[in-house]
Amino acid sequence: MNYSDLERSILTYLGFFSEPTAEMRALIGEILPRVKGAARFRRAEGRFTALPFFLSKEPYLNFLSGAHTVVLEAVTLGGEVDLLIRRLSKEDMLSGFVADACASALLEAYADDAEEALGTERTYRFCPGYGGSDVRDVRYILESVKAEKIGITRTESGLMLPQKSMAGIVGLGKKTQKSCGECILKEHCAYRKEGRVCFEK
Amino acid sequence: MLRKVTVFDGGMGSEFERRGVLVPVPEDLNITDAENVRAIHKAYSMADVISTNTFGLNRIKYRGKFSIQEVAEAAIQNARSAGKRVFFDIGPTGGMMQPLGTLTFEEAYAAFEELALLTCNKVDGYIAETFSDLKELKACVLALKAHTDKPVYATMTFDKTCRTLNGTTPEIAAALLENLGVDALGVNCSLGPKELKPVVERFLAVSHVPVIVQPNRGLPQLVDGKTQYTLTVEDFMAPMCEFLKMGVSVVGGCCGTTPEFIAELAKYSGTEVEQPEPEYKTVITSSTRLVNLDGARICGERLNPTGKKKLKEALLKGDMDYLAREAISQEEAGAELLDLNVGVPGLNEPAVMERAALCVQEATDLPLQIDSSDPAAIEAGVRSYAGVPLINSVNGEGKVMDAVFPIVKKYGAVVLGLTMDGKGVPRTAEERLKIAERIIARAAEYGIPRHRVMIDTLVLTASAEQPLVKETLKALTLVRKLGVKTALGVSNVSFGLPDRPRLNRAFLAAALQAGLNMPIMNPMDGEMMGTIYAYRVLSGEDMGAEDYISRYAGASNAPTAAAPAAPKAESANASPVATLYEAVRRGRKGEARTFTEEELKIKAPMDVVNGILIPALEEVGRLYDSGTLYLPQLIAAAEAAKEAFARIQEKFERTGEGRGKVVLATVKGDVHDIGKNICKVVLESYGFEVVDLGKDVPIERVVEAALREKPLCVGLSALMTTTVPSMKATIEALRAAGCTLPVFAGGAVLNREVAREIGADFYTENALELVKSIEKELLK
Repeated sequence: MNYSDLERSILTYLGFFSEPTAEMRALIGEILPRVKGAARFRRAEGRFTALPFFLSKEPYLNFLSGAHTVVLEAVTLGGEVDLLIRRLSKEDMLSGFVADACASALLEAYADDAEEALGTERTYRFCPGYGGSDVRDVRYILESVKAEKIGITRTESGLMLPQKSMAGIVGLGKKTQKSCGECILKEHCAYRKEGRVCFEK
Repeated sequence: MLRKVTVFDGGMGSEFERRGVLVPVPEDLNITDAENVRAIHKAYSMADVISTNTFGLNRIKYRGKFSIQEVAEAAIQNARSAGKRVFFDIGPTGGMMQPLGTLTFEEAYAAFEELALLTCNKVDGYIAETFSDLKELKACVLALKAHTDKPVYATMTFDKTCRTLNGTTPEIAAALLENLGVDALGVNCSLGPKELKPVVERFLAVSHVPVIVQPNRGLPQLVDGKTQYTLTVEDFMAPMCEFLKMGVSVVGGCCGTTPEFIAELAKYSGTEVEQPEPEYKTVITSSTRLVNLDGARICGERLNPTGKKKLKEALLKGDMDYLAREAISQEEAGAELLDLNVGVPGLNEPAVMERAALCVQEATDLPLQIDSSDPAAIEAGVRSYAGVPLINSVNGEGKVMDAVFPIVKKYGAVVLGLTMDGKGVPRTAEERLKIAERIIARAAEYGIPRHRVMIDTLVLTASAEQPLVKETLKALTLVRKLGVKTALGVSNVSFGLPDRPRLNRAFLAAALQAGLNMPIMNPMDGEMMGTIYAYRVLSGEDMGAEDYISRYAGASNAPTAAAPAAPKAESANASPVATLYEAVRRGRKGEARTFTEEELKIKAPMDVVNGILIPALEEVGRLYDSGTLYLPQLIAAAEAAKEAFARIQEKFERTGEGRGKVVLATVKGDVHDIGKNICKVVLESYGFEVVDLGKDVPIERVVEAALREKPLCVGLSALMTTTVPSMKATIEALRAAGCTLPVFAGGAVLNREVAREIGADFYTENALELVKSIEKELLK
């Protein structure tokens, strides 16, 4: 994992659009190791050569067309990170906010690293909620990869716990890059207003 | 110790899969496909114990077609058909418990209790398995123990780091489970047997009850909805045979294992294995941290309102964040355990203790000493405690012991006994020793072994009872010979004399030498801490003085006059700021504090507020709006301004009401509270008082608070589309209760239209806009 990429995505999550201040750099430098120390990245996946039922609708069909295999995956940093964020927030809200951003960036980075094992002919990770898809579809992913085994549960309202968890879909046998094209927030996006995007190109 | 091997059955879910029986709720098969269930049980009948097909059968998780009772009874009948002993199988609820999630201890307890009541006369024992959360497993074991004397076996699942998903180690799991009285403990599921070896070794190194191992058939791969396992019977058996040789006496299989695997294990049924007999140790734990009371362990005393005005106020106001911060700062100062006492006259002590214990456990993972003279408050503190707590205290009085020992026993705690009784503190060490012996003997009658009793030989003040100081120390040495660990509240010694820290340090050194294991003291006192670190070198506990050197390398050898340390620069490469205005503008918390104190020497408090703080915040707000400053900088400025306001309030009693109150909550069902917390700090920086109800707040608590606090407005936050309905319901309930206060709504998925649709009066996009619109709309 490349530190400058990680720092860039942390700054993006913090809403920092220009060169960071020395203070901000120092604070990230102090908090990121604590988040890394608390994180225990875990991942569960399932592979499907036939399309799982919940994916037979848009925008998934379009996203997966041309793929020969679908990989469903769930990843988490574990509950200790949630507790660290809360703890830091009690001492100082800025530290808590930075820890939250560090954790989000770290989860994405670990997930990206783990996906390297899927080979180069693969799509990006599409998570329910993207492109107008139903965020409740997370449920089918968690069930089919037995995400409870890596400690991810869902609340009644459908939220994943621990909070720093993701459920995603990767197609094998085709390549796609993230774009804003289908994004539901395209017209209202705070990043786009600044001429940026929410993902690393 | 020689033990006979017991063999459990193997995987159930994977057997269904192998037979092509794929259903969402496998527990229902007990009724809908009893034939297949029985066939699997019978295929496992070479095992000594058959576990029921009830892993997901509890009212929180089960979503099948039948009643819990119907399924439980059918499952037991099916398991009976194999003709072997039947253990009722219990898995976790599938919900995430507090503090990570929203499931409460009592909800989990009730779910397990229902199972216990339905099955206690129908089975031969229980196996609670695959737990990750020690607190949830504790709820299960307590519920079973409350209703049945049948054997209870308990296992947790561990990953390669030798921790459960929630961070519990084998030592911590064993300490609590053994104290709770389980009949066997260990590991299941998780990994393949080979990878479990370190976990098994660690269980055997601490357990005094039989150790269970039920591994998976290696790590599974999920392909096209089928779970594939790779280990052969031989791969599986080699490490299992090693475990038997090491002293494991209960074996079986988990996911992926089949009757072929269990048939091999069954060859060892009834053979004898030699389990090691580790020494008993006095250990106190949280769910992720274990403190072994060997050597000198530091218990922080600051969460005790006696003589602490601010803590008392915080407890009366219900400001649990204050307790959390106090806990964190003690941990950062080096405390290894924390005392928690919430005794303030006029408070409902049990209720406050329960909340405070939860809140402190959320902020720090240091083990807790639950400190109260009220047995009901003690029970409230230890019941949902995740780990082995220390209970402070009992004394030599029969009625006190009779009230507290049952709690110690039931919840698997360690207890601190004070060497006094109805007649007060005896003058001589020998008399105190007698009381200690009495306490230990009475504890034993309650089934509490010696290693779960600690003794405090009581410190009297050198000013009033000078000759007795030596008796306390002598008593320590005598009591240690009984084989128990000791504690003292050391700073009592200096009460009534000048320069108390000096006496405290001298006494602490003497007490450590006399055999003190756990000083209860102020960890913020660097000199006291230094005495402990130095003692650990001299006693040999700090091998090679490594810890000492890491702390004090570079310290001057010259005697210090304890000069206050220079204020730490906020960051090495940050440029200095010269004024309070600049400190706030740049978000420098520490400098804001220093400059506020400087300003207060020459200016009236209101001039500091109106002349410096408010203009600085205005400037920050303007720069944020124009996109020159970003959210982290706004938060930093708010924190700095808050710090300045706090300094001003410390020096001058607050007059009047401030700018008004705001009630904030992240709505029911939502646990993402970072946005709400940012609003809180920004509101506070602008001088508003925030009543923070937290996250996942039940609708009725919002209504209550709105009616009770009479705030300017109510602010509600939600992150997910799925929790917006809950925000709507909260607003409707507020209106139904006759509350006409303005409601502000915010959160990632909201916008002006959605906010209007769900009945909110205002929508604000960010924290600053919230402040501005409260000022504009409500403070006209």
